[in-house]
Amino acid sequence: MSTPTILVAGTPEALADIGTEFVPATTPAGPHLSALGIIRSEWIKLSTVRSTIWCFAVLLVVSMGLAAIMSLALDLTGTDITTVPGTDQARFVAQASSFGVFFGQLIVAVLGALAVTGEFTTGMIRSTLTAVPKRLPALWAKALVLFVATFVAGLVSNIAAYVVTVSIVSGQGLHASLFAPEVILPVLGGSLYLALVAVFALGIGTIVRSGAGSIAVALGVILLLPVVLQMIPATWASDVLPYLISSAGISMFGLMQFAKVPLDWSVDLIIVLVWVVVSLGTAAVLLKRRDA
Amino acid sequence: MIQAQSLTKRYGSKVAVDAIDFTIQPGTVTGLLGPNGAGKTTTMRMIVGLDRPDSGSVLVNGQRYQDLRAPLREVGVLLDAKAIHTGRSARNHLLAMAATHNIPKSRVDDVIELTGLTSVARKRVGGYSLGMGQRLGIAAALLGDPGILILDEPVNGLDPEGVQWVRKLMRHLAGEGRTVLLSSHLMSEMALTADHIIMLGRGRVIADAPVAEIIGQAGGATVRVRSPHATRLATLLAQAEVTVVNLEQDVLQITGITAAEIGDQAAAAGIVLHELTSVSASLEDAYMSLTRNEVEYRTGGTGDEEFDDDDSDTTDAATDAAANDDPDPRETELQEAAR
Repeated sequence: MSTPTILVAGTPEALADIGTEFVPATTPAGPHLSALGIIRSEWIKLSTVRSTIWCFAVLLVVSMGLAAIMSLALDLTGTDITTVPGTDQARFVAQASSFGVFFGQLIVAVLGALAVTGEFTTGMIRSTLTAVPKRLPALWAKALVLFVATFVAGLVSNIAAYVVTVSIVSGQGLHASLFAPEVILPVLGGSLYLALVAVFALGIGTIVRSGAGSIAVALGVILLLPVVLQMIPATWASDVLPYLISSAGISMFGLMQFAKVPLDWSVDLIIVLVWVVVSLGTAAVLLKRRDA
Repeated sequence: MIQAQSLTKRYGSKVAVDAIDFTIQPGTVTGLLGPNGAGKTTTMRMIVGLDRPDSGSVLVNGQRYQDLRAPLREVGVLLDAKAIHTGRSARNHLLAMAATHNIPKSRVDDVIELTGLTSVARKRVGGYSLGMGQRLGIAAALLGDPGILILDEPVNGLDPEGVQWVRKLMRHLAGEGRTVLLSSHLMSEMALTADHIIMLGRGRVIADAPVAEIIGQAGGATVRVRSPHATRLATLLAQAEVTVVNLEQDVLQITGITAAEIGDQAAAAGIVLHELTSVSASLEDAYMSLTRNEVEYRTGGTGDEEFDDDDSDTTDAATDAAANDDPDPRETELQEAAR
């Protein structure tokens, strides 16, 4: 047996004693942990797995495809297009351009869940947490990188969908600028909602830890909960409906309304943010507390 | 330098690590040895903050691992080869790890070369063999050029060449003044690599001493003597530090005196010897006898059902360890190398 070191456990003085008595507590000079480094690390991780590439590719294709279907289905026979107000034309273009978000929310939810459950199921999380032993900086960096990447991917998909829409409906004389407020706001709002859903699912993934389990929970909340509530005939069910993450998110950029009296977009945004904060906050508490 | 003080970890009602104290010195290779379930991995996980101790503390260079400013550059850790995302290439994995500490790309390429992964570095880790995964884990541990290395079963899955490479690497790193802690249940490997052994059994430190001393504790060097005048010889050799055990009618097992000394004394007294053999205990003997004692102690001490179950587990683990000697050709080779 080696001689046990006698010291008062837990006090900073005791800890300092060990440092000076045996080895000077040397932090090697040179590179060290930094917030920027952790963010860069999370970007490398997100961009070097196939699931990310696949999810964003599917998002792009689905957005463009739905825009095409919606535009081709538009039948203006018998309508004098010159009599349709510009704002109505813009609204149609905006709907077709952002329709992909309906399905996109499911795709980015899967992406968000996989971004972290992939680490838990492969054991990668242990490498992550030994590199960032305070743990939470890794979660925040992951959330930030996922948010930005998904927002950009959503924006690209929506703009691509706009291009598809315009190129089809212009044949019928319909026109709308991308930068018309009726178009650009839904395009931006839809992308913002997608990015927030991804972060929401990231939180679920961190809580549940298994890939299949967290995808089921995230999709259940986004897809199943509104359907179930709409099937319940009680008034409370229809009262609760606008406060679901997907209802608030979809109505945020004007695609559909779920409340009897439409909520202001800022209220919708706050509702979505609350869902995200609760999910990510719970994830942070559990990540910090649990053994990895 | 790693220091643990009353370090304790429970999983539910089971105590995985039971108030252990140890100090791991720089410049040596320290082996953490014990049967499966002895608490080796849990101890290592607590050192790097993956598991939170229920009580007690463990400090790395005088600080909690979580408080280090550059953890990867102070401690390199290989807990299991599977701590890597299977969908990513080795190089991207190492780049992501390096990025957290702003470690330059050139260092990533250096450790890839050092561990012999250059040809597969851009392939996805999912397709790696156990040995390649192990090399990648070692590359990740070396990434920050750390002063402390913690490696859980580093030779697991490596071919004989790889085993020898790891052994040399560990010796070399300790020679540079680094602290090296490695765990294994391969006694022969430990005997070749480690200077110092901390033996764990059922979450407690059973032994903490230099390798030679541990072997000594298991009886040290014994001498086997066959003589028609065994009784006379036993009387002749009777001294304070000499132990004589009468194995058979004319066979003695003697400790505390060398074979040469016995031969000299017997010749002087005119005693005929038919056999005089030096039998040195191995680390394996020490391990078996120490872990067996632990089991017996526990059984005698309590005897309730829970402990009975645990005892059978430990016995199984010991049997596993013993079984490791034969069926696996790689390990047989190691055993032979050790002898």
